[in-house]
Amino acid sequence: MSDEHHGDHHPSAWGPHDWEHNPGPPHNSWAPLILSMGFGTFLFSLASIYNWGELENASYIPLALVGLAVITAGLVVWWRQDASFDGSYEPRAVGAPFKNIQIRKVAMWVFLMSEMMIFSSLFSTYMRYRLGLTPCQEVFDSGNWVEGTSVVCFEPASHLIASSWYHLAPGAINTFALITSSFTIVMALKTAKRTDLISAERSKLVTRYLGTTWLLALLFITLKMVEWFIGFPMPGFLNDGHAIQSLYEEGYLINNDAYQNHHYVDAAGAHMMADIQVSATTFYVTTGTHGVHVFAGVIGLTYMTYKAHTGGYTPDNAASIEYFGLYWHFVDLVWVLVFPFFYLY
Amino acid sequence: MAHYTILGKDPYWMNFYGLMALTVIEVAAVGIDLSKSTTLAILTVIAIPKFLMIAGIFMHLYGDGDSKVLTLTALFPAFFIIVMVLFIGLTHPEATTGLPDWCRPGNYGL
Repeated sequence: MSDEHHGDHHPSAWGPHDWEHNPGPPHNSWAPLILSMGFGTFLFSLASIYNWGELENASYIPLALVGLAVITAGLVVWWRQDASFDGSYEPRAVGAPFKNIQIRKVAMWVFLMSEMMIFSSLFSTYMRYRLGLTPCQEVFDSGNWVEGTSVVCFEPASHLIASSWYHLAPGAINTFALITSSFTIVMALKTAKRTDLISAERSKLVTRYLGTTWLLALLFITLKMVEWFIGFPMPGFLNDGHAIQSLYEEGYLINNDAYQNHHYVDAAGAHMMADIQVSATTFYVTTGTHGVHVFAGVIGLTYMTYKAHTGGYTPDNAASIEYFGLYWHFVDLVWVLVFPFFYLY
Repeated sequence: MAHYTILGKDPYWMNFYGLMALTVIEVAAVGIDLSKSTTLAILTVIAIPKFLMIAGIFMHLYGDGDSKVLTLTALFPAFFIIVMVLFIGLTHPEATTGLPDWCRPGNYGL
């Protein structure tokens, strides 16, 4: 190999690693730094655009778009590098306690630990408020309220959601969708590691499993939007033809200090008003954080499905599916707790 | 990857069936007219095995060579979670009603 030719394959922190000419540890990557800057810019501007659920400062919208563009650039750098990965070099830890375990796998677990802390803080906040504030139902039953004056109490979203099978349907379907997607991603890993299949057949099956996971994740987000914002009409023979209203239409909002639920009307026709800002905030922040994780999964799955389609996953190069699978199972794991305690109880 | 079987069958399929069955029971428990505390008890009792099934079988914290050390890693935040939930989440009697002004909605201490 001439020096000139070798020069064409020098390591780059921007593009694909040349595994053929530069075997061994991969070069460094700019992708994490670019992504961090993008997320920082985007989240800062998003927080400036909205205040307490209302559009406040539209002048930050261009900055938010710049943030999104930087995030996209970071993803492109990351995926260009990952697409060239052939599984020939998987660094392993050399010291205790993770000796001989893939470093990327350990890193994913450390990342998931930090995620656990985030969701734990959200759960403990929910528990604190749920147990600390008097339930709105209890206030209503006690009669200690005056029409026209708002009462601070805890109104769980489940009061609306679990009030009928129709309201419950999106959350319940989503639960089955996430469990099924956890199953399909683990089957994608199992299939990618199969050595008894020819390459084309294996790629087809892995693409199918990852594509199904992608579709189920998209279904989850769609139903979440239906439940939060859109609602859905009902034919006459179902629910007496009454449309199922979204939480937004029902007034279950983070800035609602005069919430009126049709359950809270006494025999005389007086309507109790409730300040549900704390209850709605704990619901939307927790389920919204989870929804953002699902959305991030959709973006990752889009790339992975494409990579599988191009034959990028082989028995020697299936670790990425395993690491992404850990993240995806974690998202499912969180939902296992969110669904009963935020939607059902 | 799982190198074992459950009742002679593929562990992933068996886990999938089990999770589906538990979720059906979970949703049905809410549909049946039970007291709040009974419903909570059922939901909690069902959530625990679901959690363990996903972590153990799908996330390979059971049955792999590195399962033990990764399980310990996963349990590491448990200490902080216990502190957070038990000693912050469930104590401080005025946490929900006695918040200072700067900590209330609409005020950011700025």
